[in-house]
Amino acid sequence: MTDPQAAPLLPVTDDVDTGEFFAAAARGELAIRVCGECRVDLHLPRENCPRCGAFTREWRTVGPTGTLYSWTVVEHQVHPAYPVPYTVVLVELDDAKDVRLLGRIDGRPALEIGQPMQAWFEQIGDVTLPQWRPTSSQEENA
Amino acid sequence: MSDATWKPGACSIVGIGATDFSKASGRSPLTLAAQASRAALADAGIDPRQVDGIVRCDMDLVSAPALADSLGVADLTYWGEAGPGGSGPAAMVGQAVAAVQAGLATTVVVFRSLNGRSGNRYGLVGERGATGGDGSYEEFFLPYGMQTAGQFFAVAARRYAHEHGLSIDGLAHGLGSIALASRAHANRNPDAQFFQRTMTRDDYLASRMLADPLRLFDFCLESDGAAAVVVTTTERARDLAGSAVPILSVAQGTGHGVQPGQMFPALLRPSITSWPSAAAAPTLFGRAGISAGDVDVAQVYDCFTITVLIQLEDYGFVAPGQAAHLAESDLSVGGLLPLNTSGGHLSEAYIHGMNHVLEGVRQVRGTSTNQVEGAEISFVTSAPPPGASALVLGADR
Repeated sequence: MTDPQAAPLLPVTDDVDTGEFFAAAARGELAIRVCGECRVDLHLPRENCPRCGAFTREWRTVGPTGTLYSWTVVEHQVHPAYPVPYTVVLVELDDAKDVRLLGRIDGRPALEIGQPMQAWFEQIGDVTLPQWRPTSSQEENA
Repeated sequence: MSDATWKPGACSIVGIGATDFSKASGRSPLTLAAQASRAALADAGIDPRQVDGIVRCDMDLVSAPALADSLGVADLTYWGEAGPGGSGPAAMVGQAVAAVQAGLATTVVVFRSLNGRSGNRYGLVGERGATGGDGSYEEFFLPYGMQTAGQFFAVAARRYAHEHGLSIDGLAHGLGSIALASRAHANRNPDAQFFQRTMTRDDYLASRMLADPLRLFDFCLESDGAAAVVVTTTERARDLAGSAVPILSVAQGTGHGVQPGQMFPALLRPSITSWPSAAAAPTLFGRAGISAGDVDVAQVYDCFTITVLIQLEDYGFVAPGQAAHLAESDLSVGGLLPLNTSGGHLSEAYIHGMNHVLEGVRQVRGTSTNQVEGAEISFVTSAPPPGASALVLGADR
């Protein structure tokens, strides 16, 4: 039931809370909302800080590396634009330990919880999605 | 955590009712709600016109006034809602207790009604141009192919195995034990969708993987149907024709690190292997003045097998990481912890936790098709991820 004509689901990029995340991605950056007062990372990004109550907030750029927190291999087709099997990874950011982001990898890659992951930026039409894949091994780099 | 203002057993569930459970009801959610409610009121021996309170789930398509109209209610003095989907039913019963205790109503119908299979199925994602925004945070999940509850719980299940040093095969054994116990109970419940449909451990392991590590039989049965209960004071219950089941305790909880949005943002909570049920547990047992060890029979919310393992740990039935080691014999009617004795969501029907409340009532009444001999303390959960609620029901003896 895979439909090559089906459009993938794209994120809204102009939401008041989350838009800058995708704007940063379009510049090739990973950005996390941070409280303007107590500096705690706020992800998912929201307008006020649950810790100190402040309504001032900023964005900070973080490094494109993380560690694999968990994953699932999706084997049952749900949306026509997402052919199975594919793998959804949940990645904990090295620069923001309380922040986890998702990524999608085709097929059933060999993975291990705790392994290093690298962000990359997928262009889909006008939208840029931060994605994740395993960091290349030492052998591949050699 | 004792609670001086909570009065154990002040209110009772005096009637229970349900429709048939199916894949295609052919009826509107309102019709289903009215049928289940009328059945519950008949069970209680209460004229439907006397109902003055209705509590619904905030995801239900049936409004309280619509159901009141259908029941011929003379004057609805209270209506409310508590919680989304599966985390609602126990909290909804709690809200009925609160309304009765506060004098806002005397006779409250609590219901859940849905065409969960033939209507709009959860997880079937529409092909919109863009997704998310307005506090839904779907933009961080749906574009990545994280689109269903099963996929969400599969990520949690793998993390659970990792944190507790279980192999994926070891995890599958634990999950399979939950599925097998539910199926065995459904095989003796004529109302269950899997009545007389037996399953072996090999059948379980051979079922196709939907979202690795979760298989087909780790998933509940999307169902059409409705279930309802009637709540009033225990004092008044003694004058009614039906059999009253005192509500010893009810609790809600969200726990540390609540996230905005609906289900998927819970993947950002500090832990994805312990749920809001851990926060509800001490309140629940404290109000009842009991511990998990006193529970005779448990109906644990089972949208997926992994949710049962995690809740058994959160509520203190077993230590963290130990639920997967529960032997399947421990979960049968004669065992250490008789679990989901109607077949639960996995094998009876998925009425978003309300059918668990009904089975919890049957057990203390002594009317279950999988009756636990002499059951006096009946435990029912409604579950995560956004929040949890639970009930302790007692025998009226």
